[in-house]
Amino acid sequence: MPPKTKPAEAALPADDVSMNDEPVGDSPSLNDDPHNPARMAFGEQRIRILPGSSDTAASFEFKGEDHTLGNALRYIIMKNPKVEFCGYSIPHPSEDLMNIRIQTWEGTAVEALEKGLDDLSDLCDVVEEKFIEARDEYGTPMEA
Amino acid sequence: MEYDPMIMDTEATGPSVKITEAGSHHVDFELQGVDLAFANSLRRVILAEVPTMAIDLVEFSANTSVLADEFIAHRLGLVPLNSKNVDDVAYSRDCDLCNDRCENCSVTLSLHARCTGDDIMRVYARDLVVDGGRANQWVGSPVITDPEGLGTVICKLRKGQELNVKCIAKKGIAKEHAKWAPTSAVGFEYDPHNKLRHTELWFEEDASKEWPKSKYADWEEPPQEGEPFDYDAVAERFYFEVESVGNLEPDAIIQQGIKLASVIQTVTEGEGGDTNGMNGADDYNNGPRSPDTGMVGSGWQGDAGYTTPGYGGGNTSTWGAGAATPYGATPYGQSHSNGWS
Repeated sequence: MPPKTKPAEAALPADDVSMNDEPVGDSPSLNDDPHNPARMAFGEQRIRILPGSSDTAASFEFKGEDHTLGNALRYIIMKNPKVEFCGYSIPHPSEDLMNIRIQTWEGTAVEALEKGLDDLSDLCDVVEEKFIEARDEYGTPMEA
Repeated sequence: MEYDPMIMDTEATGPSVKITEAGSHHVDFELQGVDLAFANSLRRVILAEVPTMAIDLVEFSANTSVLADEFIAHRLGLVPLNSKNVDDVAYSRDCDLCNDRCENCSVTLSLHARCTGDDIMRVYARDLVVDGGRANQWVGSPVITDPEGLGTVICKLRKGQELNVKCIAKKGIAKEHAKWAPTSAVGFEYDPHNKLRHTELWFEEDASKEWPKSKYADWEEPPQEGEPFDYDAVAERFYFEVESVGNLEPDAIIQQGIKLASVIQTVTEGEGGDTNGMNGADDYNNGPRSPDTGMVGSGWQGDAGYTTPGYGGGNTSTWGAGAATPYGATPYGQSHSNGWS
Protein backbone atom coordinates (compact mmCIF):
# COMPACT_ATOMS: atom_id res chain seq x y z
CA MET A 1 0.00 0.00 0.00
CA PRO A 2 1.34 3.38 -0.91
CA PRO A 3 1.40 5.96 1.86
CA LYS A 4 -1.86 7.85 2.11
CA THR A 5 -0.27 11.25 1.91
CA LYS A 6 -1.34 13.40 -0.99
CA PRO A 7 0.91 15.83 -2.77
CA ALA A 8 0.90 19.19 -1.06
CA GLU A 9 -0.77 21.00 -3.96
CA ALA A 10 -3.67 18.63 -4.02
CA ALA A 11 -4.52 19.51 -0.48
CA LEU A 12 -5.11 23.10 -1.54
CA PRO A 13 -8.42 23.53 -3.35
CA ALA A 14 -8.38 26.25 -5.94
CA ASP A 15 -10.76 28.46 -4.02
CA ASP A 16 -8.91 28.14 -0.77
CA VAL A 17 -7.93 31.38 0.82
CA SER A 18 -4.48 32.16 2.02
CA MET A 19 -4.41 34.08 5.21
CA ASN A 20 -1.71 36.46 6.25
CA ASP A 21 -0.05 36.16 9.58
CA GLU A 22 -0.69 38.88 12.05
CA PRO A 23 1.82 41.62 11.31
CA VAL A 24 4.81 41.38 13.59
CA GLY A 25 5.93 44.40 15.55
CA ASP A 26 2.58 46.06 15.06
CA SER A 27 1.18 44.33 18.09
CA PRO A 28 -1.84 45.97 19.69
CA SER A 29 -0.82 48.20 22.52
CA LEU A 30 -2.37 48.12 25.95
CA ASN A 31 -4.90 50.71 24.93
CA ASP A 32 -6.20 48.67 22.03
CA ASP A 33 -7.12 45.77 24.24
CA PRO A 34 -10.87 46.01 24.72
CA HIS A 35 -10.66 44.10 27.98
CA ASN A 36 -8.37 46.57 29.62
CA PRO A 37 -10.33 48.98 31.80
CA ALA A 38 -7.51 51.47 31.44
CA ARG A 39 -8.63 51.88 27.87
CA MET A 40 -11.64 53.80 29.10
CA ALA A 41 -9.52 56.77 30.02
CA PHE A 42 -10.11 60.37 29.01
CA GLY A 43 -13.87 60.43 28.71
CA GLU A 44 -14.05 58.69 25.40
CA GLN A 45 -17.42 58.21 23.77
CA ARG A 46 -18.93 55.17 25.46
CA ILE A 47 -22.45 55.19 24.12
CA ARG A 48 -23.47 55.05 20.52
CA ILE A 49 -26.70 54.46 18.70
CA LEU A 50 -26.59 51.35 16.62
CA PRO A 51 -27.36 51.84 12.97
CA GLY A 52 -30.88 51.20 11.78
CA SER A 53 -32.51 53.17 14.56
CA SER A 54 -35.38 55.57 14.22
CA ASP A 55 -36.39 58.35 16.59
CA THR A 56 -38.79 56.25 18.59
CA ALA A 57 -37.00 52.92 18.39
CA ALA A 58 -33.29 52.74 18.97
CA SER A 59 -30.63 50.42 20.27
CA PHE A 60 -27.77 51.85 22.24
CA GLU A 61 -24.40 50.23 22.70
CA PHE A 62 -22.57 50.88 25.95
CA LYS A 63 -18.88 50.17 26.16
CA GLY A 64 -17.58 48.86 29.46
CA GLU A 65 -20.95 48.34 31.09
CA ASP A 66 -22.62 45.14 32.22
CA HIS A 67 -25.64 43.87 34.15
CA THR A 68 -24.85 46.32 36.95
CA LEU A 69 -26.10 49.23 34.90
CA GLY A 70 -28.05 47.26 32.31
CA ASN A 71 -30.68 45.65 34.47
CA ALA A 72 -31.28 48.62 36.75
CA LEU A 73 -31.47 50.98 33.79
CA ARG A 74 -33.78 48.66 31.88
CA TYR A 75 -36.11 48.56 34.86
CA ILE A 76 -36.17 52.30 35.40
CA ILE A 77 -36.71 53.05 31.70
CA MET A 78 -39.58 50.58 31.62
CA LYS A 79 -41.18 52.60 34.45
CA ASN A 80 -41.51 55.53 32.08
CA PRO A 81 -45.10 55.49 30.74
CA LYS A 82 -43.92 56.91 27.44
CA VAL A 83 -41.81 53.83 26.84
CA GLU A 84 -43.31 50.91 24.99
CA PHE A 85 -40.39 48.53 25.38
CA CYS A 86 -36.98 48.41 26.94
CA GLY A 87 -34.63 45.48 27.11
CA TYR A 88 -30.92 44.94 27.45
CA SER A 89 -28.46 42.28 26.45
CA ILE A 90 -24.81 41.47 26.61
CA PRO A 91 -24.21 40.11 23.12
CA HIS A 92 -21.05 38.24 23.97
CA PRO A 93 -19.40 37.65 27.35
CA SER A 94 -15.92 38.34 26.07
CA GLU A 95 -16.79 41.69 24.57
CA ASP A 96 -17.16 44.45 27.11
CA LEU A 97 -20.36 45.73 25.58
CA MET A 98 -23.95 46.08 26.70
CA ASN A 99 -26.86 46.91 24.42
CA ILE A 100 -30.10 48.58 25.43
CA ARG A 101 -33.11 48.65 23.17
CA ILE A 102 -35.73 51.34 23.70
CA GLN A 103 -39.00 51.79 21.85
CA THR A 104 -41.28 54.63 22.82
CA TRP A 105 -44.93 55.52 22.42
CA GLU A 106 -44.13 59.21 22.40
CA GLY A 107 -40.93 61.19 22.71
CA THR A 108 -37.67 59.92 21.35
CA ALA A 109 -35.69 56.95 22.51
CA VAL A 110 -32.75 59.20 23.35
CA GLU A 111 -34.95 61.26 25.66
CA ALA A 112 -36.14 58.08 27.33
CA LEU A 113 -32.56 56.96 27.87
CA GLU A 114 -31.57 60.31 29.32
CA LYS A 115 -34.59 60.30 31.58
CA GLY A 116 -33.78 56.76 32.66
CA LEU A 117 -30.25 57.72 33.63
CA ASP A 118 -31.50 60.77 35.53
CA ASP A 119 -34.16 58.76 37.34
CA LEU A 120 -31.69 56.08 38.32
CA SER A 121 -29.32 58.76 39.57
CA ASP A 122 -32.11 60.28 41.65
CA LEU A 123 -33.03 56.87 43.04
CA CYS A 124 -29.41 56.36 44.09
CA ASP A 125 -29.45 59.72 45.84
CA VAL A 126 -32.61 58.80 47.73
CA VAL A 127 -31.25 55.44 48.83
CA GLU A 128 -27.99 57.03 49.88
CA GLU A 129 -29.85 59.62 51.92
CA LYS A 130 -31.91 56.89 53.59
CA PHE A 131 -28.80 54.88 54.33
CA ILE A 132 -27.02 57.82 55.96
CA GLU A 133 -30.17 58.51 57.97
CA ALA A 134 -30.33 54.90 59.13
CA ARG A 135 -26.64 54.88 59.97
CA ASP A 136 -26.88 58.03 62.05
CA GLU A 137 -29.90 56.60 63.80
CA TYR A 138 -28.07 53.37 64.54
CA GLY A 139 -25.65 55.42 66.57
CA THR A 140 -22.38 53.57 67.03
CA PRO A 141 -20.11 55.00 64.43
CA MET A 142 -18.58 52.38 62.19
CA GLU A 143 -14.91 53.05 62.33
CA ALA A 144 -12.21 50.89 60.93
CA MET B 1 -42.17 64.22 32.49
CA GLU B 2 -43.95 64.51 35.75
CA TYR B 3 -44.40 61.01 37.08
CA ASP B 4 -42.50 59.76 40.06
CA PRO B 5 -41.11 56.30 39.40
CA MET B 6 -41.05 55.49 43.07
CA ILE B 7 -44.76 55.96 43.62
CA MET B 8 -45.40 53.14 41.26
CA ASP B 9 -43.13 50.83 43.18
CA THR B 10 -44.61 50.98 46.61
CA GLU B 11 -47.54 53.07 47.60
CA ALA B 12 -45.85 56.42 48.10
CA THR B 13 -43.42 55.12 50.70
CA GLY B 14 -40.30 55.04 48.58
CA PRO B 15 -37.16 53.19 49.48
CA SER B 16 -36.14 52.68 53.09
CA VAL B 17 -33.07 51.37 54.84
CA LYS B 18 -32.87 49.73 58.22
CA ILE B 19 -29.53 48.82 59.77
CA THR B 20 -29.80 45.69 61.85
CA GLU B 21 -26.24 45.24 62.92
CA ALA B 22 -23.00 47.10 62.47
CA GLY B 23 -19.43 46.85 63.61
CA SER B 24 -16.03 48.08 62.57
CA HIS B 25 -15.86 45.56 59.75
CA HIS B 26 -19.39 44.70 58.85
CA VAL B 27 -22.89 46.09 58.36
CA ASP B 28 -26.09 44.17 58.01
CA PHE B 29 -28.98 46.14 56.65
CA GLU B 30 -32.34 45.73 55.09
CA LEU B 31 -33.25 47.62 51.96
CA GLN B 32 -36.91 47.99 51.23
CA GLY B 33 -39.04 49.56 48.55
CA VAL B 34 -36.69 49.16 45.63
CA ASP B 35 -36.84 46.50 42.99
CA LEU B 36 -34.66 43.48 42.51
CA ALA B 37 -32.74 45.00 39.61
CA PHE B 38 -31.67 47.98 41.66
CA ALA B 39 -30.81 45.97 44.77
CA ASN B 40 -28.73 43.62 42.69
CA SER B 41 -26.95 46.53 41.04
CA LEU B 42 -26.09 47.83 44.48
CA ARG B 43 -24.68 44.43 45.41
CA ARG B 44 -22.66 44.28 42.22
CA VAL B 45 -21.24 47.76 42.66
CA ILE B 46 -20.25 47.08 46.27
CA LEU B 47 -18.60 43.88 45.18
CA ALA B 48 -16.69 45.05 42.14
CA GLU B 49 -16.80 48.75 41.46
CA VAL B 50 -15.87 50.54 44.66
CA PRO B 51 -12.34 51.93 44.27
CA THR B 52 -9.62 51.01 46.76
CA MET B 53 -5.82 51.00 46.89
CA ALA B 54 -3.66 47.97 46.20
CA ILE B 55 -0.07 47.30 45.25
CA ASP B 56 0.13 47.16 41.49
CA LEU B 57 3.84 47.28 40.65
CA VAL B 58 6.71 45.70 42.54
CA GLU B 59 10.39 46.32 41.88
CA PHE B 60 12.71 43.72 43.33
CA SER B 61 16.18 44.83 44.40
CA ALA B 62 16.89 41.65 46.29
CA ASN B 63 15.01 38.43 46.73
CA THR B 64 16.96 35.50 48.07
CA SER B 65 13.93 33.96 49.75
CA VAL B 66 12.59 30.59 48.66
CA LEU B 67 9.66 32.23 46.90
CA ALA B 68 9.86 33.46 43.32
CA ASP B 69 9.62 37.19 42.60
CA GLU B 70 6.24 36.94 40.90
CA PHE B 71 4.89 34.84 43.73
CA ILE B 72 5.81 37.51 46.27
CA ALA B 73 4.58 40.26 43.96
CA HIS B 74 1.22 38.54 43.82
CA ARG B 75 1.07 38.21 47.59
CA LEU B 76 1.94 41.87 48.00
CA GLY B 77 -0.86 42.81 45.63
CA LEU B 78 -3.35 41.05 47.87
CA VAL B 79 -2.32 42.88 51.04
CA PRO B 80 -5.23 45.17 51.95
CA LEU B 81 -4.22 48.82 52.07
CA ASN B 82 -6.07 51.56 53.83
CA SER B 83 -8.24 53.35 51.29
CA LYS B 84 -9.93 55.96 53.42
CA ASN B 85 -10.90 58.99 51.31
CA VAL B 86 -9.51 57.28 48.24
CA ASP B 87 -11.27 59.93 46.20
CA ASP B 88 -8.23 62.11 46.88
CA VAL B 89 -6.16 59.74 44.78
CA ALA B 90 -6.40 59.94 41.01
CA TYR B 91 -6.50 56.90 38.78
CA SER B 92 -2.94 56.57 37.60
CA ARG B 93 -4.06 56.17 34.01
CA ASP B 94 -5.82 59.52 33.90
CA CYS B 95 -3.69 61.53 36.29
CA ASP B 96 -2.95 64.84 34.62
CA LEU B 97 -0.07 65.76 36.86
CA CYS B 98 2.33 63.16 35.55
CA ASN B 99 3.12 60.91 32.65
CA ASP B 100 3.98 57.80 34.59
CA ARG B 101 3.01 58.09 38.24
CA CYS B 102 3.24 60.64 41.01
CA GLU B 103 2.13 61.25 44.57
CA ASN B 104 -1.27 62.30 43.32
CA CYS B 105 -2.00 58.92 41.79
CA SER B 106 0.15 56.37 43.62
CA VAL B 107 1.67 55.49 46.96
CA THR B 108 5.15 54.03 47.25
CA LEU B 109 5.79 51.41 49.90
CA SER B 110 9.12 49.82 50.56
CA LEU B 111 9.96 46.61 52.31
CA HIS B 112 13.45 45.61 53.33
CA ALA B 113 14.01 42.55 55.50
CA ARG B 114 17.05 40.39 56.06
CA CYS B 115 17.22 37.43 58.38
CA THR B 116 20.32 37.41 60.51
CA GLY B 117 19.27 35.18 63.39
CA ASP B 118 19.13 31.42 63.47
CA ASP B 119 15.37 31.38 63.73
CA ILE B 120 13.10 31.61 60.75
CA MET B 121 11.95 35.17 60.32
CA ARG B 122 8.51 36.17 59.16
CA VAL B 123 7.96 39.24 57.05
CA TYR B 124 4.65 40.89 57.86
CA ALA B 125 2.49 43.52 56.24
CA ARG B 126 3.51 45.93 59.00
CA ASP B 127 7.02 45.88 57.52
CA LEU B 128 5.74 47.75 54.49
CA VAL B 129 6.70 51.36 54.99
CA VAL B 130 5.15 54.23 53.11
CA ASP B 131 7.81 56.26 51.32
CA GLY B 132 7.40 59.84 50.23
CA GLY B 133 4.20 61.76 49.90
CA ARG B 134 0.67 60.57 49.33
CA ALA B 135 -2.66 62.11 48.56
CA ASN B 136 -3.85 61.98 52.17
CA GLN B 137 -2.67 60.68 55.50
CA TRP B 138 -4.47 57.32 55.36
CA VAL B 139 -4.24 56.06 51.88
CA GLY B 140 -1.81 53.21 51.25
CA SER B 141 -0.97 52.12 54.79
CA PRO B 142 -1.26 48.36 55.23
CA VAL B 143 -4.42 47.29 57.07
CA ILE B 144 -3.50 45.74 60.38
CA THR B 145 -6.30 44.47 62.54
CA ASP B 146 -4.78 41.67 64.62
CA PRO B 147 -4.10 42.47 68.30
CA GLU B 148 -0.34 41.97 67.87
CA GLY B 149 -0.28 44.57 65.11
CA LEU B 150 1.57 42.39 62.64
CA GLY B 151 -0.74 42.12 59.67
CA THR B 152 -0.59 39.34 57.11
CA VAL B 153 2.52 37.25 56.56
CA ILE B 154 4.16 38.06 53.24
CA CYS B 155 6.97 35.49 53.34
CA LYS B 156 9.40 33.69 55.61
CA LEU B 157 13.18 34.14 55.56
CA ARG B 158 15.94 31.83 56.75
CA LYS B 159 19.32 32.99 57.98
CA GLY B 160 21.09 35.03 55.30
CA GLN B 161 18.05 35.46 53.09
CA GLU B 162 16.93 38.92 52.14
CA LEU B 163 13.95 40.63 50.61
CA ASN B 164 14.19 44.19 49.36
CA VAL B 165 11.32 45.52 47.28
CA LYS B 166 9.72 48.78 46.28
CA CYS B 167 5.97 48.60 45.74
CA ILE B 168 3.77 51.05 43.88
CA ALA B 169 0.18 51.05 45.09
CA LYS B 170 -2.48 52.44 42.80
CA LYS B 171 -6.20 53.05 42.88
CA GLY B 172 -8.37 50.55 41.10
CA ILE B 173 -11.58 48.55 41.17
CA ALA B 174 -12.22 44.86 41.67
CA LYS B 175 -13.67 44.51 38.19
CA GLU B 176 -10.10 44.85 36.98
CA HIS B 177 -8.46 42.68 39.64
CA ALA B 178 -9.89 41.14 42.80
CA LYS B 179 -7.09 42.63 44.89
CA TRP B 180 -9.01 45.91 44.74
CA ALA B 181 -12.10 44.38 46.33
CA PRO B 182 -13.33 46.37 49.33
CA THR B 183 -15.32 43.46 50.71
CA SER B 184 -14.54 39.89 51.53
CA ALA B 185 -18.19 38.97 51.12
CA VAL B 186 -21.51 40.59 50.38
CA GLY B 187 -24.48 38.65 51.61
CA PHE B 188 -27.59 39.26 49.57
CA GLU B 189 -30.88 37.64 50.35
CA TYR B 190 -34.57 38.12 49.74
CA ASP B 191 -37.76 36.14 50.06
CA PRO B 192 -36.61 33.76 52.83
CA HIS B 193 -39.67 31.55 52.45
CA ASN B 194 -39.18 31.21 48.70
CA LYS B 195 -42.71 32.42 48.10
CA LEU B 196 -41.68 33.84 44.76
CA ARG B 197 -40.18 30.50 43.76
CA HIS B 198 -37.08 32.13 42.37
CA THR B 199 -35.24 29.04 43.48
CA GLU B 200 -36.10 25.42 43.66
CA LEU B 201 -35.32 23.82 46.98
CA TRP B 202 -34.21 20.32 46.14
CA PHE B 203 -35.19 17.78 48.77
CA GLU B 204 -35.16 14.09 49.60
CA GLU B 205 -38.44 13.92 51.45
CA ASP B 206 -39.47 17.25 52.89
CA ALA B 207 -37.92 20.58 51.86
CA SER B 208 -39.01 22.37 55.02
CA LYS B 209 -37.18 19.86 57.21
CA GLU B 210 -34.06 19.52 55.13
CA TRP B 211 -33.33 23.17 54.38
CA PRO B 212 -32.16 25.29 57.30
CA LYS B 213 -34.26 28.38 57.95
CA SER B 214 -32.69 31.67 57.05
CA LYS B 215 -32.24 34.04 59.96
CA TYR B 216 -34.54 36.39 58.11
CA ALA B 217 -37.30 33.80 57.90
CA ASP B 218 -38.83 35.12 61.13
CA TRP B 219 -39.04 38.60 59.71
CA GLU B 220 -41.47 37.75 57.01
CA GLU B 221 -44.82 36.08 57.09
CA PRO B 222 -44.48 32.38 56.27
CA PRO B 223 -46.77 31.12 53.54
CA GLN B 224 -50.15 29.86 54.68
CA GLU B 225 -50.97 26.22 54.32
CA GLY B 226 -52.20 25.64 50.80
CA GLU B 227 -51.73 29.29 49.86
CA PRO B 228 -52.04 29.77 46.09
CA PHE B 229 -48.99 31.05 44.24
CA ASP B 230 -49.13 34.82 43.87
CA TYR B 231 -47.81 35.45 40.40
CA ASP B 232 -48.00 39.23 40.83
CA ALA B 233 -45.68 39.25 43.81
CA VAL B 234 -42.28 40.89 43.48
CA ALA B 235 -39.29 40.89 45.79
CA GLU B 236 -39.45 43.84 48.13
CA ARG B 237 -37.18 43.33 51.09
CA PHE B 238 -33.49 42.75 50.54
CA TYR B 239 -31.11 41.71 53.27
CA PHE B 240 -27.50 42.76 52.80
CA GLU B 241 -24.56 41.61 54.87
CA VAL B 242 -21.49 43.57 53.90
CA GLU B 243 -18.14 42.41 55.24
CA SER B 244 -15.27 44.82 54.80
CA VAL B 245 -11.69 43.69 54.23
CA GLY B 246 -10.59 46.59 56.41
CA ASN B 247 -9.42 49.01 53.75
CA LEU B 248 -12.66 50.98 53.84
CA GLU B 249 -15.21 51.46 56.58
CA PRO B 250 -18.30 49.45 55.79
CA ASP B 251 -20.58 52.47 55.63
CA ALA B 252 -18.16 54.14 53.25
CA ILE B 253 -18.31 51.09 51.01
CA ILE B 254 -22.07 51.25 50.82
CA GLN B 255 -22.18 54.96 50.28
CA GLN B 256 -19.68 54.57 47.49
CA GLY B 257 -21.74 51.67 46.24
CA ILE B 258 -24.94 53.62 46.12
CA LYS B 259 -22.97 56.01 43.99
CA LEU B 260 -23.96 53.65 41.27
CA ALA B 261 -24.64 57.19 40.35
CA SER B 262 -20.94 57.51 39.65
CA VAL B 263 -21.27 54.71 37.16
CA ILE B 264 -24.09 56.60 35.54
CA GLN B 265 -22.10 59.77 35.60
CA THR B 266 -19.15 58.29 33.80
CA VAL B 267 -21.50 56.99 31.19
CA THR B 268 -23.36 60.24 30.74
CA GLU B 269 -20.24 62.38 30.65
CA GLY B 270 -19.48 61.30 27.15
CA GLU B 271 -23.04 61.60 26.05
CA GLY B 272 -23.07 65.34 25.61
CA GLY B 273 -26.80 65.77 25.80
CA ASP B 274 -27.75 64.96 22.24
CA THR B 275 -27.08 62.36 19.66
CA ASN B 276 -24.14 64.29 18.38
CA GLY B 277 -21.32 61.87 17.93
CA MET B 278 -23.43 59.00 19.18
CA ASN B 279 -24.17 58.25 15.61
CA GLY B 280 -21.66 56.18 13.86
CA ALA B 281 -24.53 54.91 11.89
CA ASP B 282 -24.41 55.81 8.30
CA ASP B 283 -21.05 54.56 7.20
CA TYR B 284 -21.30 51.47 9.33
CA ASN B 285 -22.14 48.39 7.38
CA ASN B 286 -21.08 45.58 9.66
CA GLY B 287 -21.40 44.73 13.27
CA PRO B 288 -24.37 44.99 15.55
CA ARG B 289 -27.31 47.07 14.51
CA SER B 290 -30.82 47.77 15.60
CA PRO B 291 -33.37 45.49 14.06
CA ASP B 292 -35.13 47.20 11.18
CA THR B 293 -38.58 48.10 12.34
CA GLY B 294 -40.25 46.95 9.16
CA MET B 295 -38.11 43.83 9.14
CA VAL B 296 -37.49 44.43 5.46
CA GLY B 297 -33.93 43.84 4.45
CA SER B 298 -32.71 47.28 3.55
CA GLY B 299 -29.79 45.86 1.72
CA TRP B 300 -27.14 46.32 4.33
CA GLN B 301 -25.80 42.95 3.47
CA GLY B 302 -25.77 43.92 -0.16
CA ASP B 303 -22.68 42.13 -1.27
CA ALA B 304 -22.96 38.62 -2.47
CA GLY B 305 -20.85 35.95 -0.91
CA TYR B 306 -20.03 35.24 2.63
CA THR B 307 -19.32 38.07 4.99
CA THR B 308 -18.80 37.29 8.60
CA PRO B 309 -20.99 39.73 10.46
CA GLY B 310 -18.85 41.92 12.58
CA TYR B 311 -15.60 40.60 11.23
CA GLY B 312 -15.58 40.88 7.51
CA GLY B 313 -15.61 43.75 5.18
CA GLY B 314 -12.80 45.82 6.39
CA ASN B 315 -15.04 48.83 6.12
CA THR B 316 -14.44 51.86 8.19
CA SER B 317 -16.11 51.37 11.51
CA THR B 318 -16.44 53.39 14.61
CA TRP B 319 -13.69 51.26 16.04
CA GLY B 320 -11.17 53.28 14.14
CA ALA B 321 -9.27 53.15 10.97
CA GLY B 322 -8.85 49.93 9.13
CA ALA B 323 -9.74 47.35 11.66
CA ALA B 324 -13.32 46.29 11.56
CA THR B 325 -13.12 44.29 14.74
CA PRO B 326 -12.85 45.68 18.18
CA TYR B 327 -9.64 43.74 18.58
CA GLY B 328 -7.44 46.09 16.66
CA ALA B 329 -4.94 44.42 14.43
CA THR B 330 -6.30 41.02 13.60
CA PRO B 331 -5.86 39.28 10.32
CA TYR B 332 -9.59 39.57 9.70
CA GLY B 333 -10.13 43.26 9.65
CA GLN B 334 -6.69 44.48 8.77
CA SER B 335 -6.63 44.36 5.02
CA HIS B 336 -9.29 46.05 3.02
CA SER B 337 -9.44 43.22 0.55
CA ASN B 338 -9.39 40.12 2.60
CA GLY B 339 -10.41 37.39 0.32
CA TRP B 340 -13.63 36.59 2.11
CA SER B 341 -16.01 38.66 0.13
